[in-house]
Amino acid sequence: MFTEVTLKLLEGFGTTLEIFVLTLVFALPLGLIISFGSMSKFWPLKWLTKGIVWIIRGTPLMLQLIVIFYGPGLVGTWATAQIANGASGFLIEWLATWQVFDRFFAVMLAFIINYSCYFSEIYRGGIESISKGQYEAGQVLGMPKAQVFFRVVLLQVVKRIVPPMSNEIITLVKDTSLARIVMVYEIIWAAQKFIKSDGLLWPLFYTAVYYLIFCGALTLLFGWIEKKMDYFKS
Amino acid sequence: MAILEVKGIYKKFGKTEVLRGIDFSMEEGEVLSIIGSSGSGKTTLLRSISFLETADEGTVTLDGEVVFDAKSVFKRNKKEQREVQSKFGFVFQQFNLFPQYTALENVMLAPKLLAKEREDYKKNKKEILAEIEAHAKALLDRAGLSDKYSNYPCELSGGQQQRVAICRALALNPKIMLFDEPTSALDPEITNEVLKVIKSVADLGMTMIIVTHEMNFAKNISDKIIFMDEGVIAEEGTPQQIFTNPQNPRTKEFITSFSQQTEDL
Repeated sequence: MFTEVTLKLLEGFGTTLEIFVLTLVFALPLGLIISFGSMSKFWPLKWLTKGIVWIIRGTPLMLQLIVIFYGPGLVGTWATAQIANGASGFLIEWLATWQVFDRFFAVMLAFIINYSCYFSEIYRGGIESISKGQYEAGQVLGMPKAQVFFRVVLLQVVKRIVPPMSNEIITLVKDTSLARIVMVYEIIWAAQKFIKSDGLLWPLFYTAVYYLIFCGALTLLFGWIEKKMDYFKS
Repeated sequence: MAILEVKGIYKKFGKTEVLRGIDFSMEEGEVLSIIGSSGSGKTTLLRSISFLETADEGTVTLDGEVVFDAKSVFKRNKKEQREVQSKFGFVFQQFNLFPQYTALENVMLAPKLLAKEREDYKKNKKEILAEIEAHAKALLDRAGLSDKYSNYPCELSGGQQQRVAICRALALNPKIMLFDEPTSALDPEITNEVLKVIKSVADLGMTMIIVTHEMNFAKNISDKIIFMDEGVIAEEGTPQQIFTNPQNPRTKEFITSFSQQTEDL
């Protein structure tokens, strides 16, 4: 039984890892773009970005998952009903085509949007903490703005954001369990199945081991990265 | 012909008028010190000359070319901006070395990036880089830093960092060097090592402007001294004139307060 549970949980943990990796792959670069938006001197862009970040950070990820998974289907059904009642027009017809997303796709969409907003704030903090003198030193050496950012500022930003980033990334590992809310088969869901099928509660407790080992490995990795960048102070 | 000509520079920050009509010119190889109390606009003037601030009015002419004119917005492309900017070497009060690069890399970074834009870069890459490295090393050697090539800024003292910063500014072969209170962030004991390096640069015939509170240094190194007060040039003259026979009552007051300080100690 123990082997069977271990293997089933490992299978579920595969999905957990998939959510984790895909979220990082998309949210890390997207977060940087969002941070540029929130630091923009063009105020409509700045306030639009800040508004979105406020909404995403101000509501639970669980709620965002539910809205993204169930929302489009509800809109589609409502619009179809309106058309049946005689409504017409381009907009309503388009809304009527809305359908429920694939479960996994909905989860990825919610996680990527949510995490890129959190990451954007970390990037913003890191970028704004670099002294004006670094930019000016680049400027008086004739370096164009992009060169100053990539050659001078970026590595200093990376060094500064490793601790808050590692914190956020470790939170992500555990947040993946929220995917269970829209019935994506990740490790918690895999464990819960044993309650129903075999009346076993311990597989659910056992999932902690998977999380602990993975987060432990991540902690070691981030510690190593921090050490690697110890050669300079900024 | 004057190498640098500054005409009618005005600059406001909000409602505060920091510069209220600055005119002066310099000959090639001249050393000019700008003195004056804090808030008199010395630093803003230096920053306005080198594009770190944009003056509201006035022109700056370098080597016969108008490099700044408040009336017409210069639409320079990156290459042109780079060219004109690199004619000014700038040394900051806070050094502003790049912390992730070694002393040598700090000095080499800008010339290397500039060289990448040369048409023959790909073909002669090795020679070009070797040349840049040799030049950077020569600069560091002259500043007494031959054993510090591979040290990171955090491993260097303030004086050493500032000397690296001077080499970094010299690496692009500027027409003129601007020093913004280069020793104000340093301990008195290590001020001298930086002043010596600045002196050695002056001895090579470099045109330079030094904003400083080191009166003795200004007196010894300068061909000309400008005393600034409340955004205008209150008095301009040789060190002899300014220090021993100031005409403006404000200059007199400023110079006396400094010499008294020395006597009091």
